[in-house]
Amino acid sequence: MDRPARLASTDEPAVDRDVAAQHVEGPTTSGHHNVVAESSGRSPRRPGRTTSILVAAAVGLVVLASLSDFVAKSLVIGATENAALVLAALGFALLYRLTGLLNVAYAETITLGGYFAVWLSSSLGWGFYAVVLPAGILAGLLSVGTYLAIFRVAKRRRVGDLEMIAMSFGLSIFLRHGLQFIFGYQVQFFDIAPPDTISVLGVGVPSFRLLALASVALLSILIYQFIQRTRYGLQIRALASNEGLAQASGVRPLTVTLLIWFVAGLAGGLAGAFYGVGSSVSPLLGSRQLLLVLLVVLVGGIWDLLGVVWVGVATGIALTAMTLQFGDGLYSSLVLIFAFLAVLKVRGRRLTAGTKV
Amino acid sequence: MSLDWLDAFLVSGTFGVVEIVGLGLLLHLQVGLTRIANFGVVGFWGLGLYTFGVLYVQVDWPFGEPWQFLFSALAASLAAALAGLVVAWLIADLDSDGALVGTLGFSAIVLILATTQDQLTGGALGLGGLGFPYDLGTTKANELLWLALMTALVGLILGYVWWVHRTPYGRLLIAIGSNEPLARSMGKHTTGAKLTLFAITCGLMGLLGAMHGVMVRFLDIGSLDVGITLAALAGLILGGTARVWGAVIGVLLTVGLFDIVIQFYVPLPQEWFTQAIPVLREAVFGALLVVVLLFRPQGLLGQMRRSKLIRAMHDG
Amino acid sequence: MGDQRRSSIRVEQVQKSYAGRMVVDVDELVLGDVPIEGLLGPNGAGKTTLMRMVMNSVSPDAGRITLNSSDGSTTTLSSLPTHKMAHHGVVKSTQVITDFDQLTILDSMLLAVATTGHEFPVRPGAERSLMSANEDEIRSYLERFGFADATAIAMSAGEKKLLDILRCLLLKPSILLLDEPTAGLPDEVTAKVLEVIRELAADGTSVVIVEHDLDVIWELCDEVTFMAEGRVLMKDDPASIRANATVIEKYLGAGHG
Ligand SMILES: Nc1ncnc2c1ncn2[C@@H]1O[C@H](COP(=O)(O)OP(=O)(O)O)[C@@H](O)[C@H]1O
Ligand SMILES: [Mg+2]
Repeated sequence: MDRPARLASTDEPAVDRDVAAQHVEGPTTSGHHNVVAESSGRSPRRPGRTTSILVAAAVGLVVLASLSDFVAKSLVIGATENAALVLAALGFALLYRLTGLLNVAYAETITLGGYFAVWLSSSLGWGFYAVVLPAGILAGLLSVGTYLAIFRVAKRRRVGDLEMIAMSFGLSIFLRHGLQFIFGYQVQFFDIAPPDTISVLGVGVPSFRLLALASVALLSILIYQFIQRTRYGLQIRALASNEGLAQASGVRPLTVTLLIWFVAGLAGGLAGAFYGVGSSVSPLLGSRQLLLVLLVVLVGGIWDLLGVVWVGVATGIALTAMTLQFGDGLYSSLVLIFAFLAVLKVRGRRLTAGTKV
Repeated sequence: MSLDWLDAFLVSGTFGVVEIVGLGLLLHLQVGLTRIANFGVVGFWGLGLYTFGVLYVQVDWPFGEPWQFLFSALAASLAAALAGLVVAWLIADLDSDGALVGTLGFSAIVLILATTQDQLTGGALGLGGLGFPYDLGTTKANELLWLALMTALVGLILGYVWWVHRTPYGRLLIAIGSNEPLARSMGKHTTGAKLTLFAITCGLMGLLGAMHGVMVRFLDIGSLDVGITLAALAGLILGGTARVWGAVIGVLLTVGLFDIVIQFYVPLPQEWFTQAIPVLREAVFGALLVVVLLFRPQGLLGQMRRSKLIRAMHDG
Repeated sequence: MGDQRRSSIRVEQVQKSYAGRMVVDVDELVLGDVPIEGLLGPNGAGKTTLMRMVMNSVSPDAGRITLNSSDGSTTTLSSLPTHKMAHHGVVKSTQVITDFDQLTILDSMLLAVATTGHEFPVRPGAERSLMSANEDEIRSYLERFGFADATAIAMSAGEKKLLDILRCLLLKPSILLLDEPTAGLPDEVTAKVLEVIRELAADGTSVVIVEHDLDVIWELCDEVTFMAEGRVLMKDDPASIRANATVIEKYLGAGHG
């Protein structure tokens, strides 16, 4: 609808943006540029200081945890139980930051990760650990599929921002209800033995939760290293900051974009599998988590991709702590939603027409 | 007067269609003219529904009908209007992504409050005790009159929307939707206009929710899921977001098709209607959003026809 | 200072840098103390950025911008929201083409003249009273600038540019900032625009104009401010600027003389 106006302001960033310029001033407009943490190590002080702060914080928390059962529980359960949240947010943020697309249908990538895992484990008789990665890969492929079939076409047809969100909303609903046709209306459980628990700081944790936490850590590090260190990572950063220029200097946008969609889908699928094994798999699995994922991504994304990870971890711990305190998960969600909306109000990304793939 | 010829479900089905048309019309002012992404329609509607229901049932009113209804409905509309004001303030200067999260977050808050405050709302069990502010003798007659009143209300909303297109106010909304910074530089208090718009339209969404409460006479948190938002959005986008009649045409073709034509005139096995059809309905609405936005983003009715309107209004 | 009191804008110690590069660095500058003031300088001199900072659509890193209205009052512009500028009489046209892509030409003009009262969400008859109060002015502008069909949406770049100036005029500015107003307009339209600018200035509006057509500058302006690399190098009458060695070196070059 308002395509001409948008074109004027996005496709010619070099010329006078004039009245629109006030928006370009916002604190976070560097948005697509500092894709990952900007800690390229240029400032000699920073890495050392960050590390020591983190170590100090960790030591402090462990000390607190050994003194207080509540803190220990919040920390351990919060970090492990909500590892899937961090994973999901990381994948979503990758897509959002690098392609500019806020993909509501990501919820169904999560759901499908859960379904793929259940389906693989019941049809092949494999254990949970064996099916996690294949399920994630299938979800990644599906994610690539939705890009090729829908979002790529939409981008070529220059669908506007608002319309793009409405479209992904529609796709999300379509997949959610389509799933009910394929997998049935019933909630599904993994057919696995009760998990063995491992004691951490005196709190028993199911082993698959530890695996979830480990894969979050691993995936975060991998993605970070990938984007900061590799040739493809360089191309991704180039593409995200200036598509035209990147293309001109030989970046092949399709390959890179497909890669982004695959990694994002993989993270979402893994998250879905971990969510699923923690409780059950149903068509609403992903969409129940979507709002929290969105909030973590938008608020964490005010900083960078690692910001998303930290906000995700903090959210998980806060959620658990409040749930332990109130005895009801819904109240903690309520508090979190209010808190996040307040942060968005103050620091959210202003009305800019950012570059969108 | 005997109403035996009339299927009771046809009345409630039509009521649902009329109601979604009303929501679609209000959404047209928000999304079509002002281009604010409201994905939380159900939140405003649901806040109206629940405020109305709780006040109606839980408060010991010193007076009888129709005052009990009128007071509760007024309070429900005001609550929704206030919520609209707050949400608009929250998202006024955020981009569409922020608007999505703000409005979705708001509808989630409404759902959580409806669930957790169960001593008031009945929570997951639901809450009965609502009724019509009059009694014509039979439920069917009562429902039929309520349908007529709802149709009149939505007719008024349609009239208002039609009129807004022809006023300086509507022009301001369109200006904000197509180039807010430019409107601002022309001295327009665009944030104020957005806030007022949300207060009015969300208040009316709340009123529609209260009207719904009377018709179903039961508060059910199941009605607070994404279905209402989806139906209004899919109908509006199919019909054409920028056109007055877009929501009317679009909702008739979507909700009307599923909830009236298929329900009553297509002979399908009975068990389909409990599970398969509702699921299919949502899936089709979702797919429709994708297909329409990909291939005909302006909807069936097409672009806003401002030139024609202005010519009709000011040529001479 | 002229004999007539005009609105003027005072820029003090204003600085703006992008990515560590100083783009505007103005110690002291008064804009609009003459009827028509030219702002001259090579591309990238910071003219547009300076004007945007006056409108507060770009915020300065440091410094103060104040408006001295013709009625004697003083307003700090750097803390005024953009939407209040027009109410204080400060209006700016845009260098890049901007328009409301859904509104017709007549719509844009009515939008400019409508007040908050007209734009109340429920007010019967507002459109009619708005039109009847402004019809004569609108029709005369339409005729003067030769818009064939005001009920159409502006299509060509020239039409949009002209419409932008028209919107500014209808806002009845006391200070009008024009950022390359005639770029892309056909000659006969340019002549009409300049004529209107002169009339406006004669009626007491202070016009500040950025223009690359030097003949326009020499002929139109009462005073010219010359900027380069973010700084104001001089402010003088057109003839002196034209003859100045620095200006010739930095801007006019051999071709202009
Ligand atoms: N939003 C921006 N971000 C980065 N640099 C900018 C921005 N706006 C203007 N600049 C730079 O500031 C300098 C001055 O620009 P401008 O004020 O448009 O100059 P002029 O209007 O005199 O040609 C130019 O070098 C331009 O590249
Ligand atoms: Mg310029």
